Parts: sequence; C-alpha cells; structure tokens
Amino acid sequence: MPETTAVVEMRNIKKNFAAVQALRGVDLVLRHNEVLGLMGDNAAGKSTLMKVLSGAYIPDEGEILIEGKKVHMADPLDARRLGIEMVYQDLALANNLDVTSNVFLGRETVSAQLIPIGVLDSRSMEQESKRLLDRLKIDIPSVRLLVERLSGGQRQAVAIARATAFNSKVIIMDEPTAALSVAAISKVLDLVRELKAQGASIIIISHRLEDIYSVSDRLVVMRQGRKVRDCPVTGDIDEFRERVVAYMIGARDDFANAVVD
Amino acid sequence: MSFQETLKAQRHNIRDYGMYIAFLAIVVFFTITTKGLFVSSRNIGNLVNATSYIAVLAVGMTLVIVIRHIDLSVGFLAGTLGAVAAMSLKYWHLPVSVTIPLVLALGVLAGLVTAFLVARMQIPAFVATLAGWLFYKGLLQLATRSRGTIIIENDIFNALGNGFIPDIPGIGFLPGVHKVTLLLGILAVILFIASEISNRKKTQAYHFEVLSPSMFILKLAFISAVIAGITWVLAGYQGLSWAAVVLLIVVLIYSYITSKTVIGRHIYAVGGNPEAAELNGISVKKITFLVFGSMGLLTALSGILYASWLRSATTIAGTGMELDAIAAAFVGGVAVAGGVGKVTGSIIGALVMASLTNGMNLLGWDISIQYIVRALVLAGAVVFDVATRKTGK
Repeated sequence: MPETTAVVEMRNIKKNFAAVQALRGVDLVLRHNEVLGLMGDNAAGKSTLMKVLSGAYIPDEGEILIEGKKVHMADPLDARRLGIEMVYQDLALANNLDVTSNVFLGRETVSAQLIPIGVLDSRSMEQESKRLLDRLKIDIPSVRLLVERLSGGQRQAVAIARATAFNSKVIIMDEPTAALSVAAISKVLDLVRELKAQGASIIIISHRLEDIYSVSDRLVVMRQGRKVRDCPVTGDIDEFRERVVAYMIGARDDFANAVVD
Repeated sequence: MSFQETLKAQRHNIRDYGMYIAFLAIVVFFTITTKGLFVSSRNIGNLVNATSYIAVLAVGMTLVIVIRHIDLSVGFLAGTLGAVAAMSLKYWHLPVSVTIPLVLALGVLAGLVTAFLVARMQIPAFVATLAGWLFYKGLLQLATRSRGTIIIENDIFNALGNGFIPDIPGIGFLPGVHKVTLLLGILAVILFIASEISNRKKTQAYHFEVLSPSMFILKLAFISAVIAGITWVLAGYQGLSWAAVVLLIVVLIYSYITSKTVIGRHIYAVGGNPEAAELNGISVKKITFLVFGSMGLLTALSGILYASWLRSATTIAGTGMELDAIAAAFVGGVAVAGGVGKVTGSIIGALVMASLTNGMNLLGWDISIQYIVRALVLAGAVVFDVATRKTGK
C-alpha cells in the first residue's frame, strides 16, 4: 500500500464515565483506502472510541484530525458533515419506511421549498438509491420495499449503503456481521471489499476474528481502554487468531510502557 | 402479468382495499335494509355533516398515534374551544373573521402545551392528556356554568356546520340538482384522472414499475365512479355542505403533507424508530411539537364545526369525541405501535363508524345493540389489520 496521509488521526483520546476510565489515552490512525479492524473483549473501549469518532461522545482529552485538520464534533451530525458515517449495530433504520426513504433519512432531496415545507423529490431519490444499490452490487429487488420486509443481511446492506450515499470519507461499522446467517455474513464481507475497491476508508468493529482477518488490512486490539496491538493483518488464520486472543485477554501488550495512569 | 399475479403483487395493499370493501359492504347493507333511505341525498348530506367534526379530529389523531402517542384531551378541548367561539361571538361581540383565527390560535397553543408536557417534561402522553381531559372538562363547565347553553345567533358562523355552498341561480336544466356541486364533482374526476396519468408517465420515464394498463384503467374507473356517485347523491339535495368543504380541504392538505413532504416523512420515521430518526438528524422533540400543535389546530376546527352544527355551546360538548376519533383511526388502519397509518384511512374509518350509527338509527335498532355492533366492527377491523400485517411479511 502506498504511504498516504491519514484520513483520521486520533491522538491520546481519554474519556471517563464517572469513576470508570473507558478510554485511557488511545491513539488511532486510519489511512486512506484502508480497512481497519478493531477488536477487543467486551468493555475494552472500542465502541466508546468509535462513538467519540462519530460525534456521539465528546472526549475529555485528546484531539481528532480529519485529513490533517483538527476538528471538534459536538454531535453525530457534525461528524456526518465532516464525512464520518457510522453504521450502528442496531442499524438505525425505520422499518416502516421503504429502502429509499431510509437511505435518504434526514437528508431528503427536495424538489421545491414551500417555506418551511420541503417537497420530496421522490423519483430522483428512488433513482439515486437504485443506482447506489447497483453500484455496491446489493441484491434488493426494489427500492420501494419496506425495510421490515427485508432479511437481516439486506437491512445491513441498506444501512451500509446509506453510509456511503453522501461522499463519506470514513465509514465506521459496528458489528456488521453479528446476528447474521453465514450466507448473509459473506455477502456483507463482499460489500466491504467492494467499498474498499471503490476507494472507501473503513473501520470495522467485530467480535468475529475470521471476518476481520478476511477483509482488514490492519488490526487494532484494545483492552481495558487502551490500545495493546496495532499491526498489519498477515500470516495464516490460526497463527493470527492465537496472537490476537493473547492480546485480547491481556497476555501480551505492545504498548505497556506507554501507560500513563 | 395475469390478474392473479397482479393481485398477489398487490397483497400488501390488501389492508387498504379491505377497508374500502368493508365500507362498501356497510353502505350496500344499509341501502338494502332501509330500502334506499340510507343513500338518499338528504341522509348522506346529514351523515357527512355529522361525521366532519370527528373526521377532522381523526386526521390529527392519526399523526399523534403514528408518532406513538395518544391524545385523550381533544374531546373536551374541542368543547371548550367551541364555547370560546360562542362567547367571542355573543358576549365579546367579535366578528367571525376574528373569532375563528382566535379559536384556531388557542387550539394550537393548547396543543403546544400538551407537546411541552410530552416532549420536554417526558410525561407519557396518556397521562398528560388525561390531565388535559380533566382540565378542559373543568374549563368547559366553568365557561358555561353561569349561562348554561350559549346559543349562537351568528348566521355566517352557523353556516359552517349547517350551510351549503351557493348554487348559480337561473339555470334551467336538471331542476332540483345542485349545479355547482355537479361541476365541482366533474372537475374533481378530471383532475384525479389527469394527475394519475401524469404521475404514471413520470414514473415510467424513470423506469420504475407501474400498475398494468388494465389494472390502472380499472382503478381510474372505480375511483371516478365513486366520486361521481357521491357528487350525484349530494347534488340531489342541497349540494356540497361547507362542513364537507372544510373536511375535504383538511384531508387534501394533510394527505399531501404526510405523503409528499420532508416533514411528513420525518413524522413516519419518528413513529417507526425514534432513535434512528434522532441519529439521522431528525429532532423527535420538534416533530412531537409539530404533531401536537397540528392536533390542537384540528381540535379547534372540530370544536368550531361542532358548535356551529349545534348552533350553540353546551356544558357537555365534546364528550367522548376523543374516543370516536381514536376508534376511527384504528378502524382506518392506524397501527397501535405507531409508524403506520394514512390520513385517508382514518377518514374512511370515521365514515364507517358514522355510517354504522346512522344506518342503525334509521333501522331503529336499540342503542345498546348499536354499541355492541360498533365494538365488534372496531375489534374486527384491528384483528383484520394485525392478520394482514403478518401474512404480508
């Protein structure tokens, strides 16, 4: 991979919840067109870190740089404006609406503005979401289907498609393969590869080691609010699994000397 | 595509069609059993006027239920605002042109107070509006206590609930038929067909699926026939009433807002998944204020229509209207869990319930039996709704 500028750089991020130190000075770099796997046991801090990046939490300390520029995010909409899209674990879809409505939720295309009422440009949104699904090779028969009629894998695909619809710089996926069938998992992983092929930069949080192994370029392991491992994904899967588990349970730690408590 | 395949493809629409078919069945049943009295011009005219104030409430209630709330206060609020209108006309000597905007503004204000309790103070809507129910019941009694029933003598105001749109005098053909109503009916059919055809063409231009030509023509013919039939019946008496005009305007505006605008889509998104809506930049609080504000506005309108219809404000005005509106919404396919339900459905629901009452009255059925029949229809409609929702998956 060519050495490019980092899309995201998080420096020394700290976040406390009352007496709990959820993040204890985490550094994280995401390079352009890279898929970064983020692993760790429950309560390791990976979701908290991603919520900081997506603007849901404001860090107590540390700074975030997007394409080299320091940014401040007060809420998820700020992050979105900066091109950071989050695919939530519960997908944040409105099941009673159709695929198009969900893709454009909160960012509807308007054909006329009768102050203060915007008139929906339904056809152009339908066309746009159809194009989007085709481009990502997502298999959904019609963009007019209600989301409640879709399978789990298709819903995941819709949530991911939404994250890519508006020229996002970074896509964060929180457990995209949890609660899916084996066939659906492979489709979602194909979708991640497709996104990478089209130039996206992606962070994936997952418990499933095989998934991280199969799509990620680099892996970060977190434990107890710290980064304990940051390395490219190499080697065969058994060796990879053994090593990652060692880091996850605390048997190994690459950054032990950097602890500042 | 064969007819059966078309039906299969339309299976998810069966909820909507089922309601129209049920309505048609009720109309046919009462037409036969009352030997045509039910569909007489005079009866249909009265039926529409007696439904209008409930239907207007049901429109607002639809949106309230869609965003997962309920409003029990609207009955007595409508009664109270009707009393305010009566007092404004009779004792404050304000003209109709001031009274109506004043009452509508008070309605919006009352709705925003409810929204404040629900959205800001996080009180469940059931509790907040139950308090409103008590509060407005008290307020209504307070307002009418000293004078009892307030008779409204303003002819313009009373025309809203009782009057009919004027006809062009001196036209010879079709004596006894209301020509302006007929003209409006023809206009409505033409506009409907034109908009459907243009919509179909545009959709085809974008290469999206449309109904097969035969189904499309069938749909056009059926709805045109319904509009023409209603027009003909209404034109045979005194024509279109002002209450019906008000109701039509409300339905057109609300159908448009709910189906064609950003705000409408956001209302349904909040109903479907509030957390998702919030994460996508839709303020649930803002939508809650908007929906309860609109409920207040429509409650005021309903109160005006009701007071005008009775030509008076009484101490018990509005009693039970909130429950009729809620029943109309549920019969009309609004889902209890929120997120699902159309404005037009609730209007049909209101018409179904009003037709039942009207038809059973014409047949002279005992009032206790009437309640039981209406209960069965309400329960049956919801059972049907839940069942079709399941098979639709």
